[in-house]
Amino acid sequence: MSASPEPTSGRIDELVDQLRTAIVQVDPSGRIVLRNSAAERLRNSHSGYLIEEAIERHLERALTGIDSDETLEFFGPPKQVVVVHTSPLPGGGAVAIADDISERRRLDAMRTDFVANISHELKTPVGAMAVLADALVGEDDQETIQRLVGRMVFEAERAARTIDDLLQLTEIELGTEIEAVPLDAASLMQAAAERVRHSARERSVDVCMSESMSPITVVGEPRQLASAIGNLVENAVKYSEAGGRVDLSVERDASAVAFTVTDEGVGIPQREIERIFERFYRVDKARSRGTGGTGLGLAIVRHVATNHGGSVEVSSVEGEGSTFVLRIPNPQPADPTESANRSEQEVPST
Amino acid sequence: MNDLRAGFHGDLEEIRDAIVRLGATVIDLIPRVTAVLLEQDLEGAEYVILGDDEVDARATSIEERALSLLALQAPVAGDLRQVATALKISTEMERSADLCCNICKAARRIYGHELDPKLRGIIQKLSDQAQAEYRQALDAYASVDAARAAALPDIDSFLDDLHRQFIQQILESHAAGTIDLQVAVQLALVGRFYERLGDHSVNLANKVRYIATGWLPEHESRSNSGQPGTPSDS
Repeated sequence: MSASPEPTSGRIDELVDQLRTAIVQVDPSGRIVLRNSAAERLRNSHSGYLIEEAIERHLERALTGIDSDETLEFFGPPKQVVVVHTSPLPGGGAVAIADDISERRRLDAMRTDFVANISHELKTPVGAMAVLADALVGEDDQETIQRLVGRMVFEAERAARTIDDLLQLTEIELGTEIEAVPLDAASLMQAAAERVRHSARERSVDVCMSESMSPITVVGEPRQLASAIGNLVENAVKYSEAGGRVDLSVERDASAVAFTVTDEGVGIPQREIERIFERFYRVDKARSRGTGGTGLGLAIVRHVATNHGGSVEVSSVEGEGSTFVLRIPNPQPADPTESANRSEQEVPST
Repeated sequence: MNDLRAGFHGDLEEIRDAIVRLGATVIDLIPRVTAVLLEQDLEGAEYVILGDDEVDARATSIEERALSLLALQAPVAGDLRQVATALKISTEMERSADLCCNICKAARRIYGHELDPKLRGIIQKLSDQAQAEYRQALDAYASVDAARAAALPDIDSFLDDLHRQFIQQILESHAAGTIDLQVAVQLALVGRFYERLGDHSVNLANKVRYIATGWLPEHESRSNSGQPGTPSDS
């Protein structure tokens, strides 16, 4: 009792229109006989005009019987990588396919860098400890021994921190059901500020928290939120110049509670912004390793945001500073009275 | 006769497409050369400089096609304005690509010198603003949108302010000893190149207004000085 199927060519046209890949077909005289929706949409962007130009150029070539490929890279923003492939058709004419491979490229770069970076982050302290231990053998001078042992402890702590962060990240990445409880948002922020107070004073960085008029409750997993906010505040202090200022605030709108951390530090180059949440990605390798970070802090922040159904946004100008906003969605209580009766939990100390 | 006119309008459309594509090339070049400058990418600089011949050839091709249309079709009114402006716009775009090459050449000259974050931040802003203006002007051209084009001079004043800030920052960085005199001079030139890119996008926008309404900036200056100069649509 099924309805009679539509003619095959009509269904194929519909399918071709659904593709994200732009397809253009020409007859032997070069007249366009098919242009799918993705190809039509090329005229909506400046890179699209240039892709269209490449398609035309390669189709002319394909009509002389030659296959051709070209990879086009656009600076955007956003950055875009498109492969244009054309080939002659057996029955005459030619077809061009333009495929956007930007995401594939990004993931490839992320994978390659991750392998290189993780090996660097773990091998460096282990290698340093081996060299230091070697230097200790046969050393009699107490002062030198003290210095070498101190350095070994520093390297061991660094490796331990990296492993701790990796374990924490893996735990968060597993995405198991979080045990969300109501928490006082300002206390979470204050606890994070408290933890960096010593290092901020050492670096002459002023950490200022703007007080909200009324208490704001956020619902989330206490340890994860404490870790995410702590990482943001710690980074802001680490990358501030001496005498700089870090502003912390908590606000609520209709949909979410926003934790905002603003610094007046060195800022992040625009080209790096999209990669800073990757594991072990460092903008300025020499500087960020010098700060004692593990390179996992922002990856943890992003995963905590995702686990809570929220987001983390960043805006930055080099030489002026950066602003990070962690947004955790407001709870949608099934029973408002139940929600009102729930008591707020204490913020974890770490 | 109708076939002839259809052919003419097809040719006109092709010239417009070629201009839009040349403009899109400039829009892509601006962030590309900024990355060359900030990342000290000598290979990237070479790539852009070598690619300039291709841009020149495309601009020349647009001019030749426009001249051929003028000679063979004797267009009038709006069509004439389109063909006449194609001659000027292609030059504006060719010059804009040259400015991008100049930024690459400056990047080569200051190779190996670190720029402090404040300078880098303003360079990025100059680039973003110059690109946004060019984008706006090209969109106005592609859709023959005179109102959009008319906003460009005001938008460009922001780029002029950034340029002033940049010069100030160069002086401060030089005084603080973070850049030497040679780098300071090259950076001042770079700032000027971005500022000129903004001027070219304003010129492009003015041409869009001319195509759409027959308006020219000279009309405004004449009417401001109390002289007659009503824009004409003929």
